[in-house]
Amino acid sequence: MIKDVLLCLEGSASTEAATRTALQIAKSQNAHLVGLVIVDEPQIRAGAATSIGGASYKQDRDESLLAEARKSAAAWLGVFDSRCREAKIVGETRQIVGRAAANILREMQAFDLSVMGRDANFHFETESTDPATRSYVLHRSQRPTVLVPATGRPVWKRAMIAYDGSSASKRAVTAFADSGLAHGLELHVATVDDDGATAWEMAGRAVEDLKRRSFHAALHNVVSVLPIPEALLEQATKLEADVMVMGAYAGSRIMERVWGSVTTDLIEKTTISLFLQH
Amino acid sequence: MPSAAESALLATPVWAVLPFACYLLLIAVLPLFFGHFWESNRNKLLLGLLLGAPVIVHLLGRADGAALLTTTVFEYVSFIALLGALFVISGGIYVHGSPAGTPVVNTVFLAIGSLLASLIGTTGASALLIRPLLRANQGRKRLTHLVVFFIFIVSNGAGMLTPLGDPPLFLGFLRGVPFTWTLRLAAPWALVNGILLVLFAVFDWFTFRGDAARVAAAGTAAVAVAPVAGSGAVAPLMPALAPPKDKERLRIDGRLNILWLLGIVFTVFAAGTWGPALLPNGHARALAQVICMIALAAASWRTTPRHIHEANRFSWAPIVEVGVVFVGIFITMVPALLFLEERGASLGVTKPWQFFWASGALSSVLDNAPTYLTFASLASGVADHGAGVLTAANLGALAVHPIGQELLAAVACGSVFMGANTYIGNGPNFMVKAIAEQHHVRMPSFFGYTLWSGAILIPLFGLVAHFFF
Repeated sequence: MIKDVLLCLEGSASTEAATRTALQIAKSQNAHLVGLVIVDEPQIRAGAATSIGGASYKQDRDESLLAEARKSAAAWLGVFDSRCREAKIVGETRQIVGRAAANILREMQAFDLSVMGRDANFHFETESTDPATRSYVLHRSQRPTVLVPATGRPVWKRAMIAYDGSSASKRAVTAFADSGLAHGLELHVATVDDDGATAWEMAGRAVEDLKRRSFHAALHNVVSVLPIPEALLEQATKLEADVMVMGAYAGSRIMERVWGSVTTDLIEKTTISLFLQH
Repeated sequence: MPSAAESALLATPVWAVLPFACYLLLIAVLPLFFGHFWESNRNKLLLGLLLGAPVIVHLLGRADGAALLTTTVFEYVSFIALLGALFVISGGIYVHGSPAGTPVVNTVFLAIGSLLASLIGTTGASALLIRPLLRANQGRKRLTHLVVFFIFIVSNGAGMLTPLGDPPLFLGFLRGVPFTWTLRLAAPWALVNGILLVLFAVFDWFTFRGDAARVAAAGTAAVAVAPVAGSGAVAPLMPALAPPKDKERLRIDGRLNILWLLGIVFTVFAAGTWGPALLPNGHARALAQVICMIALAAASWRTTPRHIHEANRFSWAPIVEVGVVFVGIFITMVPALLFLEERGASLGVTKPWQFFWASGALSSVLDNAPTYLTFASLASGVADHGAGVLTAANLGALAVHPIGQELLAAVACGSVFMGANTYIGNGPNFMVKAIAEQHHVRMPSFFGYTLWSGAILIPLFGLVAHFFF
């Protein structure tokens, strides 16, 4: 069961959706919720090639961006704190000054579940997007993460488990079942494979696994001309699922670079929350 | 002709060039890897003096060493006095208001900058115009191209028509290049800036249309949001993405500074045109020029209301930093220039197009002022052919020499234009980048910027080389 939840705060619309989801999870699980903001001072102050006379402009720029980052961090923590109080949830705020990716990962290891906006930008002062931090933590975290897009619904009624038989997807099923989040949800297991018999058998194993944990799930084998991520998202839409449970980044980094990654594609395209377990 | 003994005495050893090369390399590398160390002006000065010490010892061992050092001191003071005066005076002018950031207005803005830069320097024009231009375009989503083209045009290519336009040209002026000589560079100036303005207008028109369509589709320009307590609603938190404010007409505060600027132009013009007749002693002339610069800067400082300096975020730090860094450059540069002057003909760079590309390549990664002097010295050596007429100390002779003037034009164009190739090629480049980032414009990385310059500027410089060199 989930006892404590980490919510990564910043200013994107997806983090707003993540905040609502985290509040809902904390309330339903009676969990302790921690809102974390990162002021990535090392990134802002990182060395840069400057022209003659440029060092003073860089210092001025660094101070200005840092002041803005601190101001934004204080605002986000303040809003989070008041929303916890309104929702009558035991909330705590935490601010860390340091590298975003490394610090978020370190914090995540101490929590049962982490919730993060899909488009979270922890380097908003210097970058327009920040997929690197998300990728870094999802590739390394040993704990489950809920990734929420801006359109993610906070209250879950149906969950679709995307199962491919990999050890990561097995861990995802186990983590989701053990978290307590699966209680009361309508569960579906979906596999994507052209060979119907193999897919059926694979999905059956996931259903059996869930049954041993006292959960009932329906089986779906998706045969589609679409690429796997689109096929899964289409199936999730058909089922009106609110969350998709899946193993994250099961393949090697090299293969991922060569062939691409289903996880990355799903993250980029999803309109519902993803429960991810590496 | 110097005797063999004199030649042996004057010959500059290779090792004496090393402090200059080391110092330029450190200026490029230290901010990247030891940013905190490089922030301190004391460290910059110590490093310059440390590398300058063996040079001073070497020069004092030469028969003409004391004279060379004295000339260097006067040159340094004149150089910094001009930069400082332009810095103070342009910092006293504030452009109020923000017109609508349409492609036409933006192109006109850059065109004004391309003319202004030759009068008040690329740094002054950049500092004066970048903020109103960013304000005018507040609310537009894609602004990177605007700032990149601003750096290409206003911060670099525009400052070609007078010695005030760019520090390398002023260094040439201090070494005798006539004030009006730079006007002969009007054709390459017009080609580069004209094509860049047209390219910018087309680019900006497409992005403007794209942004307008996107905003219309989204119904709002605000993207970044934060939850509003209690309401369940979301509100914009990041000011850069907030909807644009109402447009205001442009208004200039601190207009008296235009008078002081004209004073600077007149002083430099007079020093170059009538100065030799009025004050034949070069050092006395330099001193008079410095006094005029200081007086004009002081007049600007006294007459400018403090709120204008505050609006411009005026600080002495940049000009102090420039002054400190150039101490090391001016000292270590002396033997390097002598070396190139003595052995220029044997180094294989002899044609104008070679000077254009070689000075440009070096100007891209090092500051363009020392680059200009380095290649102008080399050009002296090449054009002189051992005749002993052309020297690095008197570039005025090079500017009227039949071959030398072609080489000097190539060096001037290469050094000034190609300072735009990277963020470190010219002083204002990084200043504009930093100011843009403070206004929430996402600027490309060092290498991202070089992709822009590689795709746009290098083919353009190919045209310049083809038509003019």
